[in-house]
Amino acid sequence: MSSVIYLDNAATTPVDPRVVEAMLECLGPAGDFANPAAVAHAPGRRAQQRVERARSEVAALIGADPAQVVWTSGATEADNLALLGAARFYKTRGRHLVTSRTEHPAVLAACRQLEREGFEVTYLRPGADGIVEPRQVEAALRTDTILVSLMHVNNEIGVVQDIGSVGRLCRARGILFHVDAAQSAGKLPIDVELDCIDLLALTAHKLHGPKGVGALCVRREPRLGLVPLLYGGGQERGLRPGTVATHQVVGMGAACRIAAEEGSEECSRIAGLRERLWQGLATQVGATLNGHPTQRAPGILSVTIDGVEGESLLYALPGLAVASGSACATTSAEPSYVLRALGRSDRLAQSSLRLSLGRYTKDDEIELAVQAIAGAVERLRAVVPPVAAG
Amino acid sequence: MNSDDPRYGTEVRCRMAALTGAGDLPPGDDVVRARTGDRERGAEVVLAVRVADGQAAELRFRAFGCPHFMAAASWLTDRLRGAGRAAFTDWDWREVATALDVPPVKYGRLLVLQDAVHELAGKWPGHGPVTV
Repeated sequence: MSSVIYLDNAATTPVDPRVVEAMLECLGPAGDFANPAAVAHAPGRRAQQRVERARSEVAALIGADPAQVVWTSGATEADNLALLGAARFYKTRGRHLVTSRTEHPAVLAACRQLEREGFEVTYLRPGADGIVEPRQVEAALRTDTILVSLMHVNNEIGVVQDIGSVGRLCRARGILFHVDAAQSAGKLPIDVELDCIDLLALTAHKLHGPKGVGALCVRREPRLGLVPLLYGGGQERGLRPGTVATHQVVGMGAACRIAAEEGSEECSRIAGLRERLWQGLATQVGATLNGHPTQRAPGILSVTIDGVEGESLLYALPGLAVASGSACATTSAEPSYVLRALGRSDRLAQSSLRLSLGRYTKDDEIELAVQAIAGAVERLRAVVPPVAAG
Repeated sequence: MNSDDPRYGTEVRCRMAALTGAGDLPPGDDVVRARTGDRERGAEVVLAVRVADGQAAELRFRAFGCPHFMAAASWLTDRLRGAGRAAFTDWDWREVATALDVPPVKYGRLLVLQDAVHELAGKWPGHGPVTV
């Protein structure tokens, strides 16, 4: 692993050692391992205090009240709980939802399920820059619209949506607003109150926390109804029953606290590295940028490199951990649906790379990555047939 | 090159490392070319063969595609060296699918290569076009 330059932080991030330390304190026999619901004894109460401290740390990162935070297994579950839970709860009020074509599969698949249950979903097409304009959302709203779902930062191309404007127009109409913030939490400012967000999905492993834990922030004032996905004990106010994994949520809390404390400076550094990476690829291999040039997250760069096939390019880059299209779609030979939604041809979509930077990306790795990609591209382009005449 | 990716067999890895047979041949009466596939659909190849004494004396390829496709094109330049027109006419994609352990999802791309080989047979120097 040490010889590989890791540029796939949008897929997942390494756990910060400080987070590991906090988690370890909750695992061993001498640690706070007890069931946090077992408040009848001291170890249980200590674990509960850990869990509630973590809840506060997560809430602080997004401008929420700790009571709004519901633990989940990750953003996928949080998205599902938000969409399925809210739609099923409010189905007598309306059966129409609005989202975009470039959402994460966790949202799109949940919408498909709702369609099977009789709901209607409008899938907005972003512009060629990946941006869904608030006026597009406004135009799609109907009298029976109950929920709008829009991701804050796109996981493939890194563009940032104007969630504040969309949130405010939804709030003015009494329509629920759900945001998938898996790629933005800890990297961009989020304030669920200011941005009028009713449901916000988070995951720990995108911000140097552990895999297997996430959260859904649920509006409390006025109280928002959700039908749970699971049934069991009364944990998490009955919205997510099951023993809370103390070490996991403590890890997520620590990751959020570190992001809140260091995120601003860290993101400035990462954005600078991303810009150098982009300039290097544009200059040396003629890469073109996917997505809006400025309205983008600090750590994600998506480029198309014409004249090379994506799988062969990835193959030719054993020293780099990067993604071709969506990380979630790398098992498929299908071109990225996100890039296709932006109007890219199948060929250009297949000739695209996503490079995502993180806390542990080093300065010198940027130049090494550019050199590696330039070398591989030159080699592959040398054997590509010339464009056919006529 | 990715030497430890289990999706690619040893032959594919060797071929991708060396890209044996990549390039083109100088034009001449004894050289024919075939271009098949569609880059927009992820696989395109140009095969060139120089024929001497009725046999393929030299082959070269240029290709756009996945590692299996590139390796298969490279493999063909060795496999068909010394072969006559009949071998080109009869060549079947399944041979390279087996030799390179190509996954079924990519079989369609091998048909692009088969089309190119058959086209070369049709253009074989000294023979008229093949009619079916």
